[in-house]
Amino acid sequence: MITMQKLKYLSLTHLSESVLKRLAQNHILTIIDFLQEDVQKLSTLTKLSLSEILSVRNEIFTKFSAPLINGTTLLSRISDTRTVLSTGILSLDSLLNGGIPVGYITELCGLAGSGKTQLSLQLAVNCARQDTNTILYVDTKGDFSAIRIQKILDANGYSHKDMAELMYKIRVVHIWTMEDLLELFKSVKNETLDIAHLALIIVDSLPCLMMQFIGDENKIGLNLLNTLVNYSRFIGNKFNVGIVYINVQTRWIDNDILDMEDEQQLSSSALKEPAYIEKRNRCLGRYWQNIPAVVLLVEKLEDSPAEKDSTQIKVTVINSNMARNVNSQCMLTLNAFGVT
Amino acid sequence: MNSFKICNATELWQRETNLPSVATFSQNLDNMLGTAGVQLGSITELLGLPGSGKTQLCLQLCASVQIPKELGGLDAEALYIDTNTHFTISRFREILSASLLRCQNILEEPLQVTEDEALDKLHYVNAFGLEKFCAFMYMLPKFIAEHPNVRLIAVDSISYPFKEGISTKQRTGLLFRLMADLQRLAVENQIAVVLTNEMSTRVGLSTGAVVGSLGDAWAHRCNTRVLLSTPHLHTDVSDGTHRLALLLKSNVAASSVAPFQVMYEFNVVGTDNDFKSMLGYAMGVGSNGSMTGCKFAF
Repeated sequence: MITMQKLKYLSLTHLSESVLKRLAQNHILTIIDFLQEDVQKLSTLTKLSLSEILSVRNEIFTKFSAPLINGTTLLSRISDTRTVLSTGILSLDSLLNGGIPVGYITELCGLAGSGKTQLSLQLAVNCARQDTNTILYVDTKGDFSAIRIQKILDANGYSHKDMAELMYKIRVVHIWTMEDLLELFKSVKNETLDIAHLALIIVDSLPCLMMQFIGDENKIGLNLLNTLVNYSRFIGNKFNVGIVYINVQTRWIDNDILDMEDEQQLSSSALKEPAYIEKRNRCLGRYWQNIPAVVLLVEKLEDSPAEKDSTQIKVTVINSNMARNVNSQCMLTLNAFGVT
Repeated sequence: MNSFKICNATELWQRETNLPSVATFSQNLDNMLGTAGVQLGSITELLGLPGSGKTQLCLQLCASVQIPKELGGLDAEALYIDTNTHFTISRFREILSASLLRCQNILEEPLQVTEDEALDKLHYVNAFGLEKFCAFMYMLPKFIAEHPNVRLIAVDSISYPFKEGISTKQRTGLLFRLMADLQRLAVENQIAVVLTNEMSTRVGLSTGAVVGSLGDAWAHRCNTRVLLSTPHLHTDVSDGTHRLALLLKSNVAASSVAPFQVMYEFNVVGTDNDFKSMLGYAMGVGSNGSMTGCKFAF
């Protein structure tokens, strides 16, 4: 805690040894003690003038307040570093204004079996294809399939040597509990776990860990989720990494209950067919809903398959920190060649 | 603290392809699954109405896990967790001896295993009720440590213990915890997990009202989901045993349909030398068409 910091370690201009000693005798030891004390009283205690005391206060404030950065500096910082990570899929890149935002949390959500894992495997492959990018794939339900990746690469005509090289850059870790995930992120954050050229972290999937807490009365899960979000943002910013979380959608049915008035108006015809409204809900609770900077909805289209053995996937931006691309969509094809 | 085992995809590929999958004895099904059978280290869910062959397929897999190494099998043991008295030993014996007989015919030499020894390779647990089920799942790591040759865990069925006495929210939480532990065990020890699940009705869903029970979140948890259909009794070509399997979800293969049969008659074995060419045929083989121990709805 900064406020608990001892005054004597700060080397502030007017606080000489003798002054510090006098302060200590009056139980003014930490910054918070100093700031909370009446200025007049401090002046009498330390035999410093009022203006000197005020300048000490100002010194503390400048030292510990968040730094001011002007727009020009921010802009140049952005142009110097990578801001997006290309997904390798043209239509998806244009949907995302260039790719997965670096330093932010991106969410892929959709119903079970809608192609989220396939899309994230493809993201891993496409990202590993560029430069020296290394991908950390956090697998929480044993869904990572190296066989599938090898099949995709094989279908795209990769040589065995290239395949091995590319697959070497995809690092997979199996995580089974929220606590382990936090431990992993902590070691990435503290650089005790060093992954060279880390560009993208994919967590497939977060609900598999979070749903282990469902039905508990306590809020432990929420607590851990909050810590995870903080770690993710820190890692994203510090190492210029894109972070993708896989989330799931669930459906529930609203059996439309008509009001008494409506009932009278609509008479019998409407009542014969009860209105069922299917509602879809992103999991992980209300806290999570506004955490990701970008939310992509993945839907599998059942009707009219263009070719045999291939599925159409619709990707929609349902939430974005760049307001202009919200609700834009693109169509992807899922087949033996992967997602294109 | 614990250090994390991070492997690259190349290592994982070697690991995934190092051991064979558990074959279903039906080439159609194996092809559909894309991995020549049920994959080790992943959870496969069999869905279907009563009588669609979920238990039969489980029993067949428990027998298939014993295919000798010479035939590309695992030569391993199976654990069958029964939550609803689905299991009948006489039916399993039929399937097992038929499977072994087929292996023998392909090898063209007698197998070095007696029926008793083969039956010993099945571990059966009778876990009725939620408490017994959870207690056994809790003991599972110890059991696996004591029986390192177990390569298949079948839970028939997963939804049964959760039928009553637990709220939906608690059920989801508990299921996800159990599955995380189960899959950790499966991945670390290279074990295939097969679960069966019943169907339930949710009126008003856009994709059709009949869905697997335990909800949408659960559907997300399994790596592979296979829907089995009940036999079409009224079609001309069918003798009442033709069934269809639909791959609903997979991390490896595209969704597709495969026909398969549950056999009862003692007439297929011996006429075909290569079970790989037995298109959609023969899961278990019974004696003279008697439906011993089968619980079918028709």
